[in-house]
Amino acid sequence: MKLGKEEIQKIVLGVLLFFGMVYSYFNILLGPLLAREDAFEKSIKGLGPATAIANAQIAQTKQMEAEAPKVAMIVHQVNAMIPPGSPVAWFPTRMADFFKAHGIERVTTRLNSESIDKRYTGYRKLTWGIDATRVGFVQFAGAIAALENDEPLIEITSIQIDAGREDVEMQHVLITVNNLVKQ
Amino acid sequence: MALHLNLYHEIQKTKALKRRDPLKISLYVLGAIAIAFATYYVIQVLYMHSLVEDFNKKKADYDKLAPIAKTAKKREEELTLKVKASDALVQRLEGRFYWAPVLEQFITVVPREVQMMRLNGDLPGDGLPRCAIGIDGLSAGSDPRKVAEQLRTALADAFKTRFKKVTSTFRTLEDGTEMVMLDGKQTPTATFAIVLQLYLTDSAPEQAPTRKKR
Repeated sequence: MKLGKEEIQKIVLGVLLFFGMVYSYFNILLGPLLAREDAFEKSIKGLGPATAIANAQIAQTKQMEAEAPKVAMIVHQVNAMIPPGSPVAWFPTRMADFFKAHGIERVTTRLNSESIDKRYTGYRKLTWGIDATRVGFVQFAGAIAALENDEPLIEITSIQIDAGREDVEMQHVLITVNNLVKQ
Repeated sequence: MALHLNLYHEIQKTKALKRRDPLKISLYVLGAIAIAFATYYVIQVLYMHSLVEDFNKKKADYDKLAPIAKTAKKREEELTLKVKASDALVQRLEGRFYWAPVLEQFITVVPREVQMMRLNGDLPGDGLPRCAIGIDGLSAGSDPRKVAEQLRTALADAFKTRFKKVTSTFRTLEDGTEMVMLDGKQTPTATFAIVLQLYLTDSAPEQAPTRKKR
């Protein structure tokens, strides 16, 4: 079979059209579509964990909210232990009354320093020196036990006991305590 | 056999040639390929549509959740601060060093042959939960040094039950110059200074490395 010139032209044209069509199909139609599909699939995959994280965050906060009253209760209890007003006005009197109630007279309380501890937000730490000039060791130990039980906000950081020269039964005691007060 | 003449052979040949026309066949093939391509494209478009719908739905859900989660995170940070502050308060209240039991031990351990002249207790605050106590005193008896030694070991033994680690060492131990009356007898004395370290945990400070001799 011999092809005429016109038929050859038609075949060449057909082949060109075929390649043009295939190129256009993959580059203009299918290629961008598949790329968009891929992008959407990735976005959907990315949204899954993000949604899960958001849900977990909400659940965790809800759980913390449920525990919040307990936390607030502790802070409320601590605040209730701190009398209103300037600590210099009430703390020395309180200590004098306390030791007097335990049979220790002549107690002097002085403010040594004041600091802010970052751990205790909303509170400041005051350091006091409490001086008792004549006190028996056993009596003093009893008073310290009561102080540690009755005043949870007070922490004794040092104790110095000196035996008296004239009366060995009586000691001179100096204790350093710190307590928390509201800022 | 009779001679048979096909007078239509020219027409039949032309028809056969038309049937086997390569151009026509290639056009059919091209058409089939085009239909396959178009079908695949339509399938992909439909799949894309379903993806878009799925994405929009999930995005809408996430957009609803995101601001709530953001607020929740902020609230969580606030609550965490409050919890930390509360924990610090509880730690302070419960982790205090109690001096009363220590003083009680001194009352029971110190014998009548010993006169404590000074007791100096301190919480060093160097990060280690420990208490350092210095005791200056006077011991009396036929062998006052032995009395002081007995006090040192008795203090260590007494506090071992309450604390994780206890060290009790003499800073000084010297014969005293004065004599004291004990049980109606003049007895010699010794002055001593004991350093007592009470550790609330096992982690005692490491000793400084000694320099190597050359």
